[in-house]
Amino acid sequence: MTIMMPASDQTVLDRRDAIVADLRAIVPGEGVISSAAEMLPYESDALTAYRQPPMVVVLPETTEQVSRVLKYCFDNGIKVVPRGSGTSLSGGALPLADAVLLGLSKFKRIREIDFDNRVVVTEPGVTNLAISQAVAHAGFYYAPDPSSQIACSIGGNIAENSGGVHCLKYGMTTNNVLGCELVLMSGEVLRIGGKAPEQAGYDLMGIITGSEGLLGVVTEVTVRILRKPETARALMVGFSQVEAAGECVARVIGAGIIPGGMEMMDRPAIHAAEAFVNAGYPLDVEALLIIELDGSSIEVDELIKRVEAIALGCGSTTCRISGSEAERDLFWAGRKAAFPAVGRISPDYICMDGTIPRGALPRALARIRELSEKYGLGVANVFHAGDGNLHPLILYDANKPGEMDKAEAFGADILRCCVELGGVLTGEHGVGIEKRDLMPHMFSEADLSQQQRLKCAFDAQGLLNPGKVFPTLHRCAELGRVHVHGGRLPFPDLPRF
Amino acid sequence: MNTLKAGDAKDVEDAVRAAVAGDQPLEIIGHGSKRSIGHAMTTNAVLDVSALNAVTCYEPHELIVTVQAGAPLDEVVSLLDSRNQAFAFEPMDTAALLGVRSGRGTIGGMIGAGLAGPRRIKAGGVRDHLLGAHAVSGFGGFKAGGRVVKNVTGYDLCKLLAGSWGTLAVMTEVTLKVMPKAETERTLVLNGLDDVTANRAMTAALGSPYDVSGAAHMPHAALTAARGALAVLASTGQAATLLRLEGIAASVAHRGAALAAHLAPFGAGEFVEDAVSAALWRDVRDVAPFAADGPLGVWPVWRIVCPPASGGAFGQALARETGGEVIYDWAGGLLWAALPPSVDVVDAHAASLRRRLAPLGGHAILLRAGEELRRTVDVFHPQAKGVAALAERVRQSFDPGSILNRGRLTRTPIS
Repeated sequence: MTIMMPASDQTVLDRRDAIVADLRAIVPGEGVISSAAEMLPYESDALTAYRQPPMVVVLPETTEQVSRVLKYCFDNGIKVVPRGSGTSLSGGALPLADAVLLGLSKFKRIREIDFDNRVVVTEPGVTNLAISQAVAHAGFYYAPDPSSQIACSIGGNIAENSGGVHCLKYGMTTNNVLGCELVLMSGEVLRIGGKAPEQAGYDLMGIITGSEGLLGVVTEVTVRILRKPETARALMVGFSQVEAAGECVARVIGAGIIPGGMEMMDRPAIHAAEAFVNAGYPLDVEALLIIELDGSSIEVDELIKRVEAIALGCGSTTCRISGSEAERDLFWAGRKAAFPAVGRISPDYICMDGTIPRGALPRALARIRELSEKYGLGVANVFHAGDGNLHPLILYDANKPGEMDKAEAFGADILRCCVELGGVLTGEHGVGIEKRDLMPHMFSEADLSQQQRLKCAFDAQGLLNPGKVFPTLHRCAELGRVHVHGGRLPFPDLPRF
Repeated sequence: MNTLKAGDAKDVEDAVRAAVAGDQPLEIIGHGSKRSIGHAMTTNAVLDVSALNAVTCYEPHELIVTVQAGAPLDEVVSLLDSRNQAFAFEPMDTAALLGVRSGRGTIGGMIGAGLAGPRRIKAGGVRDHLLGAHAVSGFGGFKAGGRVVKNVTGYDLCKLLAGSWGTLAVMTEVTLKVMPKAETERTLVLNGLDDVTANRAMTAALGSPYDVSGAAHMPHAALTAARGALAVLASTGQAATLLRLEGIAASVAHRGAALAAHLAPFGAGEFVEDAVSAALWRDVRDVAPFAADGPLGVWPVWRIVCPPASGGAFGQALARETGGEVIYDWAGGLLWAALPPSVDVVDAHAASLRRRLAPLGGHAILLRAGEELRRTVDVFHPQAKGVAALAERVRQSFDPGSILNRGRLTRTPIS
């Protein structure tokens, strides 16, 4: 399927050689990539169905270079697409033909580890996992753990407000980031927040996090680190009905228990994962829950008992409790490998990412089953069940004409269903280009205008990552106009200031 | 003062639209319990949203509650309590500190002020629990966020609304995350530590795996100024450092013992349990030692936020040099300072305090002060030029005419 991107600016393309030369003056050596062959790896992110070679790739190494590149582009009306590790599943880093692709991969140094203040100050190109690894020797870790954590960068995590299996208890990126150095499109360098638990004034860090590279380029990040819990154990519980598993999730939460993670897989996902990693998953069940409890060993033992009783009360047919770290890892191995496992049973798949209220899980699954029949495409479901975040994997074959379009239509129907059930279009993968045109299904024109006005406060020319998130581009002047309607004035007699 | 009482969200929208059309700034109030915080507003018209007070929907199993912005905080908290749930961020009740009638305050005011209590170190602040909002900006009504925790659909406008002091939009209905209450709690009390040593003890506690959910330090003079639960601790004649553990009974007992052993270098502590512990933390949350009807009631009070490990040294020096009292929460990341008024210090120490906070990356607001002081001192922390300019552009993207709470955040220079 094609997606409309902003029209290329021919006057920029005509100046390409001069622009490349100017950029080389700012970022010397190998920091500017302009040959078609070398730009190939940058043509797409992890939403590989969409590809577009950029005009030029720039890989700066310092904040000053980022600032100068952005200022140069700002002065010359050149669009910029920022990129971290390129693991976005929503096309957030898809290049534009007339834009500079600004990669932050050379920002890969951890600048400071401050155990007393429980923070790490890092460059944005450092991977999510590397932060946890850097503080592991002291028993600390960085809580958000997206499944791409060995590859995805912390800067990309800020852009996407990434989650992971443990965000039910420990929050998403936004709950674990304290500050950043931000370069605006104009080249201005700002410090937002820092090591203090709160920032002064408006919560700008909160708005930068999850802004999908549309507001600024992050060149340094301060994240909160946590002490690792004493211990963690997991239950693997099978159910003969999906509804029973959904009920179990609701009852665990209802009993006041917040597990470290609570994941669900349906039959196709269980079978694919088991065939791939031999985790010992039961194959005669319709749904499998992996529930992890963490904390002190006494607490974990007690909660394991409570959760086991709840599961039995919901009609669980199998229940295994991890007796060792190796066994706990094995329970998770299948879940963590679910995507590649599904990749083995289908030539292609797309991974969806909607969120629904927990209680709507059985209804959502029933609807997905209906849609699967309607479109004639298979689907395997993995969920972050604890927080209602669905990841249906739609199976298709790109070599069969029309199947990709069908898969995308199927996915869009699932996301519309999520909104109808009281949920949202994306829980952790971002809007990007993938869900851009579905935004009006969740937000009214007025809602979207308020968001786009905010964009104008950061990037009034709309040069940073245009074509992402918002289905329609508006000029800031037009958005900033207050439409005054006639009507009664409630304070007719007051003097006006 | 002209007051317009909104009956529903449409009233709010109509009132703001008309105010924009007529360039008539509005002061937005719920119960008005926090009106004395901030600069005097340059408005003579009030939009009162306290009649928007319904609980729209409470879904304990979804861990969410949806309420209108004017809903009384204490009623919502009681409702959650009836299902053994709570706002995990422990919203502060500013009544005692500001000297207004207790039990006042709305959900909208709680969000607009964004003042979280002791559990912020573990559970996050108000901004971390606001999932969605319907609000009216200078451009009209809009929706932000949703009703689920995991949501990255569009910009997270809710983060901006929390702590914006009513200057961006008038909230009409909000959805907040709620959490189960802990089954039991106990507090380890260490006696006799000076502020810097206490800061080190709290840092050690937060660096342990024992899941500490509150870490506060009260110098002895502050304890003697308090009434109620904290006053009881004053009888030891020493400062008290408080470390809270919450959870199921067996776990709290186990972690308590382990924490006490871990902190043995700081002295042998004593434990207080359940209701007594809870009363202590309510007083910490509400800054009881500086209550308006207490001995320090007429002193201006600063709320200072800084990197936690630097709080002890900063506060100790501040207290010594000003003759004031400082108490510590968030393991040293939040300081409350009551500084004595003096004819020699016309700015309540604002300039020196902020100058010394700058290298630490800290900031301070003058939360309690008389009108006159608020005319001469910047109540809210002045920001670096570029950030301040960005914040102003952000504000204008909601309310270009400065209709909402005009003048509350920024001091108008005296002419």
